[in-house]
Amino acid sequence: MFADGLFLGFAVLAVLGAAGLVVFRHPMNGAMSFVVTLISLAGLYALLSAKLIFALQLIVYAGAIMSLIVFIIMFLNIQPSDLPKEETKLVYILGGLAVVLPIGLFLAKIVKTLPLSSTAILGNDFGGVKQVGLLLFKDWLVPFEIVSILLLISLIGAVVLAGKKEAVK
Amino acid sequence: MIHSYLYLSIILFCLGIVGVISRRNVFTVFMSIELMLNAANLAFVAFARVHESMDGHVLAMMVMAVAAAEAALALAVVILLHKHKSKLDTNVFSLLKG
Amino acid sequence: MGQSVHYLGLIPLFPLMGAVFIGLLHVFTCKNAKLSEKVYGLLACVGPVLSFVMALKVFFQLKSLPADARFLSHNAFTWFSVGDLHINMGFLADPLSCLMLLFVTLIGSLIHIYSIGYMSGDKNYGKFFAYMNLFLGSMLVLVLGDSPVVMFVGWEGVGLCSYLLISFYSEDTNNVLAGNKAFIVNRIGDLGFVLGMSFLFWGIGASGFDYLSLKANVHHLTPAIALTVCLLLFVGATGKSAQIPLYVWLPDAMAGPTPVSALIHAATMVTAGVYMVARFSFLYAHVELAGNIVAWVGILTALLAAIFGMFQDDIKKVLAYSTVSQLGYMFAGVGVAAYSAGIFHVFTHAFFKALLFLGAGSVIYAMHHEQNIWKMGGLKAKMPKTYITMVIGALALAGCPPFSGFFSKDEILFSALATGHYGIWAVGLLVACMTAYYTFRMIFVVFHGEPRDQHAFDHAKESPAVMTVPLIILAVGAAFAGFLNMPGVQTVSHWLAPSLTEHHPHASSFVLVFAMATSIVAFLVGIKIAYSKFGKGAAEPVFSGFEKFAYNKFYVDELYNAVIVQPYKAVGSSIWKTIEPNVTDGPVKAVTRLYMMIGTAFKVFQVGYVRIYAIYMIVGLSLMSLFLSQSLN
Repeated sequence: MFADGLFLGFAVLAVLGAAGLVVFRHPMNGAMSFVVTLISLAGLYALLSAKLIFALQLIVYAGAIMSLIVFIIMFLNIQPSDLPKEETKLVYILGGLAVVLPIGLFLAKIVKTLPLSSTAILGNDFGGVKQVGLLLFKDWLVPFEIVSILLLISLIGAVVLAGKKEAVK
Repeated sequence: MIHSYLYLSIILFCLGIVGVISRRNVFTVFMSIELMLNAANLAFVAFARVHESMDGHVLAMMVMAVAAAEAALALAVVILLHKHKSKLDTNVFSLLKG
Repeated sequence: MGQSVHYLGLIPLFPLMGAVFIGLLHVFTCKNAKLSEKVYGLLACVGPVLSFVMALKVFFQLKSLPADARFLSHNAFTWFSVGDLHINMGFLADPLSCLMLLFVTLIGSLIHIYSIGYMSGDKNYGKFFAYMNLFLGSMLVLVLGDSPVVMFVGWEGVGLCSYLLISFYSEDTNNVLAGNKAFIVNRIGDLGFVLGMSFLFWGIGASGFDYLSLKANVHHLTPAIALTVCLLLFVGATGKSAQIPLYVWLPDAMAGPTPVSALIHAATMVTAGVYMVARFSFLYAHVELAGNIVAWVGILTALLAAIFGMFQDDIKKVLAYSTVSQLGYMFAGVGVAAYSAGIFHVFTHAFFKALLFLGAGSVIYAMHHEQNIWKMGGLKAKMPKTYITMVIGALALAGCPPFSGFFSKDEILFSALATGHYGIWAVGLLVACMTAYYTFRMIFVVFHGEPRDQHAFDHAKESPAVMTVPLIILAVGAAFAGFLNMPGVQTVSHWLAPSLTEHHPHASSFVLVFAMATSIVAFLVGIKIAYSKFGKGAAEPVFSGFEKFAYNKFYVDELYNAVIVQPYKAVGSSIWKTIEPNVTDGPVKAVTRLYMMIGTAFKVFQVGYVRIYAIYMIVGLSLMSLFLSQSLN
């Protein structure tokens, strides 16, 4: 009973945040809405007994990635003239919604065929750090290592891209 | 019920698509992509709860790692684009025209 | 019947191989290591002389055969075989082709020897002899062929060599244009020949397309087709043998070197048409109307050319028109079904016309390539051998007994009279008178009287022996060849009888004597008029009125140009300018324009904004999910 209310609250916040992201003109406003969405999602993860993911969402996504994005937005010193003049924004958004609606309905129809199941909070054996860690390092070791290489590549890439200097005369 | 989580995931995903195709601001486009990734994450975790297996959590972690990597690179590119044209409009870059 | 011999194929092969060999030698050495002229001369004469020796062998072998089986044949290989048409590269030596063979190879050899002297100093010495050998080889293929198709191969070959040799001095474009004219006019005639052959094949070709089979089957032809074939083949002959209307190339062909004029345009190539009619005597004898048309065209050509010849001032042009005129006589002969008389005139004409041309060449050589008779004069003192041989040739041409021309020409006129063609006889007699006149006009102006150009006269001297010896040999032939077919004895006619379908007319000896007498009178009248006008030296006349008209060849060339050539060029030009851009290029360009329009239409989708491309993807996905939702139901 508590859970349903929490779910509803988090869900509404998430959707509102997403809508805000799509609608706001200045990216900073959009980023802030997006943070709201991310935090609500973290709450939803908690409701799904995904304790580690809940924590990681807050730390990595809302904490690291969004702060990086916000940092870059502020770093670029965006002037109103830099932003694109999107007069027809609303038209496009409504058109986009129209186009996307069939996709959503299709996915919803698929979801409808799934069997019902409960979402009661599970105990310590599910979703905790230790359990996920064991799974990660036992069954998912190779993907784990590959992802670490991926992160290394992106690190190097980011350094190379951002570190481009002008040609020395 | 689990369906509500999945419907929410669908709504967020569609909003992400709308954001990608209808906005011209590079940051908005990028963040809409992150929104889509998050919607997928939600679906992963929901299904993990249904099957009571934590593979979904692990995958969600992988997605987050990838999203982080991609965020870094995408923002580096955004900085370079801004340096080039000092505009944040995707319509400015139209060399593919014709 | 007849024998099969293997050396027949060698007769045309020797000159052809010589042509290839000399041609390659010339090509490979003319830039750097020039070969001595003696080498070329020697190599060039080997082929013709060998062919002459083998022609003699053929003659003696034929003589040893009985008259009803008097032919030698040789089938070299099957050329092609399509449906009912089986063509072999075969050779047939019967009395007719043997006669042609003998004088073609003899005169060909003599002219090759003469050319060694005449062409000396020319930078394309080797090329000349290569072409001459090629010509001789083609002429031998023409004469020896055993079917119309093989004859046509030689026919085309001599046409080609005529073109190559007329344009030999190719630095002057006029010579090349003359060569073009010869080839193109010849080609028009060849079209007639090919059509004639095709009709002949259509009529009776199914059971063999060589002369012997055709002769056996000729009565299967319907009269209409027979007439068509005869006339179409004669069109080919008018092209090759320069009759009306296709004679216009022969005077222009004098642009070639004089030995070429002697060999090709006097003795051999131009007689191919007469040979062809004689060959097809089995056909022409069937269709009297065709024969009449041939005879009238021939005699009218003789008249027209004689008129032109009376007023020309170039020594070679006089002889060219004389050739056309004498060819007209030959066609008149074969037209009135006196085939052996026509062929005999071919034989004697070869000797005295070649002699006259070579003599003219000797004069031109001595006068340093001056060809205008009004710049010559009094040369008989300086060039006695040339003078005497040319007088003999002129007497033969004019028809003075006992020289050869008298007997052959008289035979034709007698046949015309005896078969009832009085018109042809009358015109022929008039032409005989004119022939005597223009021939001796030329002789008197060139050799008698005072020299008109003293400077050139001082430098003139007799030509070297390599040129005068052939002249002497030909003079002997021109003088005595007539005795081979004297009236009454008629050795040549009897020799030719197995090859020809001929019915000798029975006429009283009164007609014979009458014909001879009138011929002699015509000759005397002509030479008298010539002597009175030119014998004591005359100045160059100024023409007016009819004379000017005749001097300008009745403006026939200009007429052809205006009526045929210019409209043809206009049609070509109009096709080039209007039809081609619109009719043929138009649809092609329209198709390309269509494709470009389609491309431009599709270019609208290539906006360049990646966002739009993403929209395309999402729209596609959306449509797909619509479809899939329907199928999920």
